[in-house]
Amino acid sequence: MTDVSVREVVAPAGREHAVLGVDFPRKEDDRLLRGAGQFTDDVDRARSAEMAVGRCPYPHARIAAIDVSAATALDGVLEILTGAEVAARTRQIAIMRPVPGAPAIPHFALALQTATYEGQPVVSVAATSRHIAEDALELIEIEYEPLPHVSDVLSALAPGAPVIHPGTLESNLLVSNPQGRGDAAARMAEADVVVEGRFHVNRVTGLPMETRAVLAEWRAGAGALTVHTSTQAPHMMRAQLADSLRLDEGDIRVVTLDVGGGFGLKLGAYPEDLLACLHAISLRRPVKFVEDRNEHFRATTHGRESVHDYRIAARSDGRILAMTDVYTNDLGGLNSPFGSSQLSTVVFNGPYKVDDGFVERRIVVTNKTPIGAYRGYGQPEVNFAYERLMDKLARQLGADPVELRAMNMVQPGEFPWVNPVGAVYDSGDYERCLRMAADAVGWAAHRDAGHEPRPSDGWYQGIGFACYVERTGYASSKFLAARGSRFGAHESVTIRANRSGSLDVYTGVSSIGQGSETVFAQMCSEFFGCDYDRIRVHTGDTGSSPLNTGSFASRTVIAAAGALADACVRLRSKTLRIAAHILGVPDPGELDIVGQAVQHREDLTLMLPLSSVFERAILGQGLPDGERPGLDETSYFEPPEAAYSFGTAAAVVAVDAESGEFDVQRFLMVHDCGTPLNPKLIEGQVLGGLAQGLGQAMGEELVYDPETGQLVNGTMMDYFAPTACDMPPVELMHTAVPSPVTPLGVRGAGEVGCIPVAAAIGNAICDALAPFGVELNRLPITPERVWRAVRDGARAST
Amino acid sequence: MKSAGMNYADVNPADSGAGRLGLPEPSVIVAARVNGTAVTEQVPARLSAADFLRHRLGLTGTHVGCEQGVCGMCTVLVDGQAVKSCLMLAGQLDGCQVETVESLAAEGPLSPLQERFRAEHALQCGFCTPAFLMTATALAADGRTLTRAELREELAGVLCRCTGYEFIVNAVEAHLASAAAGEGNQPGD
Repeated sequence: MTDVSVREVVAPAGREHAVLGVDFPRKEDDRLLRGAGQFTDDVDRARSAEMAVGRCPYPHARIAAIDVSAATALDGVLEILTGAEVAARTRQIAIMRPVPGAPAIPHFALALQTATYEGQPVVSVAATSRHIAEDALELIEIEYEPLPHVSDVLSALAPGAPVIHPGTLESNLLVSNPQGRGDAAARMAEADVVVEGRFHVNRVTGLPMETRAVLAEWRAGAGALTVHTSTQAPHMMRAQLADSLRLDEGDIRVVTLDVGGGFGLKLGAYPEDLLACLHAISLRRPVKFVEDRNEHFRATTHGRESVHDYRIAARSDGRILAMTDVYTNDLGGLNSPFGSSQLSTVVFNGPYKVDDGFVERRIVVTNKTPIGAYRGYGQPEVNFAYERLMDKLARQLGADPVELRAMNMVQPGEFPWVNPVGAVYDSGDYERCLRMAADAVGWAAHRDAGHEPRPSDGWYQGIGFACYVERTGYASSKFLAARGSRFGAHESVTIRANRSGSLDVYTGVSSIGQGSETVFAQMCSEFFGCDYDRIRVHTGDTGSSPLNTGSFASRTVIAAAGALADACVRLRSKTLRIAAHILGVPDPGELDIVGQAVQHREDLTLMLPLSSVFERAILGQGLPDGERPGLDETSYFEPPEAAYSFGTAAAVVAVDAESGEFDVQRFLMVHDCGTPLNPKLIEGQVLGGLAQGLGQAMGEELVYDPETGQLVNGTMMDYFAPTACDMPPVELMHTAVPSPVTPLGVRGAGEVGCIPVAAAIGNAICDALAPFGVELNRLPITPERVWRAVRDGARAST
Repeated sequence: MKSAGMNYADVNPADSGAGRLGLPEPSVIVAARVNGTAVTEQVPARLSAADFLRHRLGLTGTHVGCEQGVCGMCTVLVDGQAVKSCLMLAGQLDGCQVETVESLAAEGPLSPLQERFRAEHALQCGFCTPAFLMTATALAADGRTLTRAELREELAGVLCRCTGYEFIVNAVEAHLASAAAGEGNQPGD
């Protein structure tokens, strides 16, 4: 078998049309446009029961007693589960991406003695309809004894704060991870200038339009459990379900057809996934659970909340000497499978070259909904801190913020470059993106014009920049293993030939909107040589796809490209051997696949339709001696290194200093995701990420009442999510520096959009209001906060 | 739209609750024309119109995202008006004409509006797409000329978390322009 070096993947010769780098129409679109997509709640089963979950209404409470007798007697109620029964029937939910050094905070699908956040599942009911299941919840008497709670992440560390997990932890500090290189403290002491700030990053939700859903079916006689669920990682879900339910992985099939948005929230098993399975097994009938939106706001993981204490030391000429960040992440009341974000550490210095650096991650337990992965996984958070501080440094030095950034960036000749925590930046031209953005928004003219308010209405005009790098993909499974992660870094595909000449591609990656069916088919067409239209990509079914990792961490295309290339090369080689045998051509190398035919490179009369070659292979009839029947290939690929996407965002903002009102007039982003395989899809990814970043920057925030510990805006009505009218005019530009460490030179594209938004907008407003000495260090940035900052002037700058 | 769809005279005796511990589950009869087909169904009185379309009629292209009339996923046309079907009871559809996304291209090629969405990459996960398509269908039927800002206002009743809206606005804008120019019925325009 050919051993493919993915860096040397070469497209088959003689192709008339390029397949990669082209905006192919999406494979996914036809069904979705007809309303014929199949989301989990679209799957109905005869005699299925429905499940509803009773949740703790307090942020922290002891469960003194549960009386289900009235509910049990209700007509239509089939089964009621409480914590004790779940603990007897299952193992605790596994943590898939533990924080290094953190003790486990084990938890079952239902709270046992104590609930540690509002919304934690306490009882579940299966009934003949959701209505009846919810009626039953009303009849269940639960005696709660509220306990002292803590909702603020810094207060949770204060002496005397109630300890939320006293059995495991002595305080609410789960773990602290210091990392660094050189002597940052010494550099700070000798620097001409040190700027610092405390940056508060808001708690938000990714808010996919489809809530979570699960349909569990148990075939008792066969001991087989089929679980339809809305997940980004079906094989991981299967492993977690098997572990918790004490079943063999082989007993379980997870099927995920269409997913209505994930953004990191649909990673790992949730309590409701297990509960639906438990009910299905004991009732011997299908059980469905569809999360309602109010539950979603409390029971599906939140993201981002953190406080960063960031410092930058520099010489008077602007050269950065050291960067340090001590940050505190809110974990929420329990450790969800993906837990607290971890990448604030990995890219803490952004695109800036610094030898001495120190970063400490502290993870803190509070009585709020558990935090989980959310698009960016720590990178938007830390970007807000270091990019806001870069502007502060520029003001302090009287330097041009663009020039200050440019002089400190890692330059193209310096790669691979290792940052102070060991991240290996692969390649790029960071400064070019910054210069392109500065030119496009007319930075030089704005800088030279000064900070006079515009004559028409007295509003101030500002421009802000934010530069970023994003770690995309994982630096091999070795990186993950060292951190205790219970998943790999690889992707896999099975490709199978059909008698008609078409190809089936099977992948465990589920379709969450990212367009992987399309891009996988493009790559398959490129590598194998047949028509794009004759390739069907089957996603998200563990029953047919090889074991894989899943759709997260901006890694799917990076890893899948290698697997597809390898499988296609082997499939192609066998196809050509069989065709050569049929055509009587001595060397298969003289043949090529062109569209739906195999033909001789020189003698064009020697040709065969792919269908006839495939049929021979499938039937095993008339094959060359020693050739085995069948025509399918399975390949795995693990990228050896992560690739770093990069770019610069620029915001042009007008601000009314009197009211604090502001208007984002332009938002521009120059991004580099390496070799673009389908440019339109990349634009879609970046634009979508930008919208989530804008929401986070300017309005989204899950607010907890400090007195009661209750989520006060946990409904769609109360939580701001951007609509079509809330988006500023957005412009995208890109560069395409191929990564030297990935197949085809691709970099991840799924998460970049949300990273630089808050800092760019914050910097633009602070630039506009420079005469007032405004520093905005808390998200979201609202007119009220801007107004307060103007009023407080320099006092707001901490 | 018919004003009084609820008819407690139609309560199913089997669900009356007499002699049972369970709550009574009154039902109503709904007779409506859905995507051109007459349907008559007996449904629980508290069944929402969205659940009726999805789980009784199997028209699962209409989605449910919040059940409080904010996200707009469940947008369908009732007597020509774009409405949020999660805020209606199934009983209120009695006597109404209902159009869902499945009416746009039952068989064969996609409609011009759908083709436009595909060409502009106006969808990613596709969960909100039927709601935007039905909103755009109502806008095209209405025939008013809208500025881009007005169009954004009109589309603000449906949320999308994937696309950032830009390509959706592009697609609807282009569709309304060609519909106004009388090209609306040309497939694949």
